[in-house]
Amino acid sequence: MKVMIAAVATTVLASLMIAPALAEADFSEGSKAKLWNVFGVEKARFEAKVTDTVCALTGDCPVDCGAGLRQMALIRVADDALLVVSKNTQAAFTGASVDLAPYCGQSVTVDGLLVGDPEITPGLGAKVYQVQSVTVAGAKPAKANRWTRDWARKNPDAKGKGPWFRRDPRIIGRIEAQGYFGLGPEVDAAYIEDNF
Amino acid sequence: MFRTTIATLALASFAIPAAAEGERIEVTGEMIDTWCYFSGVMGGPDAVVGTAHHTCAMWCAAGGIPVGLLTDDGTVYMVMKWEGSAEIADGTALLDVQSHRVTAEGIVYERDGIKYLMVAKVLEDAGITNVNHEDFGVVPGFAIPDPNK
Repeated sequence: MKVMIAAVATTVLASLMIAPALAEADFSEGSKAKLWNVFGVEKARFEAKVTDTVCALTGDCPVDCGAGLRQMALIRVADDALLVVSKNTQAAFTGASVDLAPYCGQSVTVDGLLVGDPEITPGLGAKVYQVQSVTVAGAKPAKANRWTRDWARKNPDAKGKGPWFRRDPRIIGRIEAQGYFGLGPEVDAAYIEDNF
Repeated sequence: MFRTTIATLALASFAIPAAAEGERIEVTGEMIDTWCYFSGVMGGPDAVVGTAHHTCAMWCAAGGIPVGLLTDDGTVYMVMKWEGSAEIADGTALLDVQSHRVTAEGIVYERDGIKYLMVAKVLEDAGITNVNHEDFGVVPGFAIPDPNK
């Protein structure tokens, strides 16, 4: 009997120890985030310290978190969890480093979405975060939508019609040389001939 | 002197977050856009890799979305340094390897369910080997502008 109880206790303990990191607490209270149609989506509003990921992992910490050139992260106050911040609130293929770097080292409240489902993408051990707004104590929430304005300021010669990713000279040059599939213009031409 | 040293060490311990323990590894896999892969915003995981998704993968890297290295067993390493540099969030350093199969050495850190890779050196770049646009077309469909419009 004692052996059975010990075995059950061991099993329960083991299951708790290997419980996936995705089984997170509910941080949806008070969130005004807009839902996106993505895997495993949950609203999440929480207090966090803003840092860059390399700093959080290695202790190499520039005072400006890399000024937008390092990938940014959030350390959630409630559980000290380090979160990858994959996206800002813009739909145009834009990350969050430009939006979060100005808050480097500060304690803020963020609102956005936790995203991901390990049953679909087993490589995911914790949800990633999409930040939609950042609030400093005593201030109004700031939308996390700076990226395209920052890109326009840095690329004054790329003005024109259409979204930034059609005008970015880094992208244009590579598509001209390697094609949309990365296999050369001939592969593109054959695909376009068959599909358009 | 002793007190000054202790005070300096105490201040330093507050200023610098505790560093995680890293492990040196060599890893092989495809360079991917992690947002499309994890979110499903453009389709299932098999469609948002390879040639089908190459242009979108470049857009996302250029836009500052974290790039990952997807190994054959499904593990995803979030790339936080490339060839020793942490200044990768504008994507420029990664544009020429998006969708490529690479072998890299570096330090891996694991925290709160995510594996982070600091790439010290790329040992091999096999180019784009995942030719999947014959199965999935171009993802998203608008990545190639309609030449008739």
